[in-house]
Amino acid sequence: MAGQSDPHLSVFSPPEVEFLAEDEMVEIIPKLSLGSLHMICGDFGPFRPNIASEVPLWLAVALKKRGKCDIRAPDWMSVDKLMQILEAERESPREFQPLPFHYIEISKLLFEHAHDNLQDIYMVRSLIEDIRDVRFHKVETGLQTISGRTHAVKLKNLSAMEVNIVRPFMIRTLQAFYKHDSPHIIQQPERSGSRRPQAPDRGPRRDLRSR
Amino acid sequence: MPGYYDMDDILMEDEPISVVFQVGAHGCGLLDPGSETNDIEKGTKMDLPYWLAHQLHLRQAVSISVPASFSQKTKKEIQADAACVDLKGRCPYFYELGCKIAPLVGDKTIGTFLLYAFTDRYKEILSKSHSGPAVPRISSRLTKEESQLFEAARSSMAAFKKWRTGGSRLEKASILGRKRKRTIPLGPSSP
Repeated sequence: MAGQSDPHLSVFSPPEVEFLAEDEMVEIIPKLSLGSLHMICGDFGPFRPNIASEVPLWLAVALKKRGKCDIRAPDWMSVDKLMQILEAERESPREFQPLPFHYIEISKLLFEHAHDNLQDIYMVRSLIEDIRDVRFHKVETGLQTISGRTHAVKLKNLSAMEVNIVRPFMIRTLQAFYKHDSPHIIQQPERSGSRRPQAPDRGPRRDLRSR
Repeated sequence: MPGYYDMDDILMEDEPISVVFQVGAHGCGLLDPGSETNDIEKGTKMDLPYWLAHQLHLRQAVSISVPASFSQKTKKEIQADAACVDLKGRCPYFYELGCKIAPLVGDKTIGTFLLYAFTDRYKEILSKSHSGPAVPRISSRLTKEESQLFEAARSSMAAFKKWRTGGSRLEKASILGRKRKRTIPLGPSSP
């Protein structure tokens, strides 16, 4: 299903990533009495009023829209937790803090549909924005270090949406560097003295080696 | 990767290359607009598209000189500040042509020169591309390959920003918004 938006780049569009994020489980507190729901992805319920239950986000949002449940905010979406994560993100310039893989999408869906179930919503929203900015800045500085010698890039704890944003750029970058640094193009300079008059041309090569 | 149906590869092969004929060619005067006879003499200098120059070079009919895009002057400019050089104006397929021309002219420095130029310009592209919706000035100086890279970053960032600020999930097809022009009159207008 990847690449509906652009078959050449094989990327997901942001709404497609959001769709994937809707499979994450959240806790709801139903306001209705309902038997088990038998879905392809599993059975959910039975639901009893005021007894918490775990359901996928899409089901939670659908029930919430009809006023049939309250969504309980995940643990990591509290001001204290996010403050800690933001601090840690700022302190370690080379590492990403572990956050849910779909934290951007989940938080957006909850802000949109369950704003009355969240506490300190403005604070949480701006903290998540800050965290995302700090992390994206790290990605950008990481991208700067890509050179011809780069064969792979390790990005631990990067989230789905962040990966999706940099994917097209990063793929093309790695391809381009791979192409330009192939030994087929960059041949060893000849040893014979006949080429000596062109020696100043090798300035760029020296620069590259010292890196 | 270049392929038979790759449009960029085809367009790249159309780049003019200056060549010197090593042999006389009869009946090929149409290649040289300035020629008065129908023959090309040995030692004539002219510009030919890459695809033709390459084939003639294989048959040792012409010798290829280093194109202006890879001359000493350009190299100096790139070494001074690669990001400021208008490579699009010089040759929109700078890197692709460089890779192809290097073995033909036997200049082994072109490969490293290309890598150096790309590495330097890549940093500039990176810092400009993820920033904002406005198209920065640099985009008019990028070669085809670079601007594809630039656009890839910019469009994914724009798509993300659009998604985040919300808006309806369903979009109207562009064709629906158009007003239909009535071409056939309803009937003969009465005087």
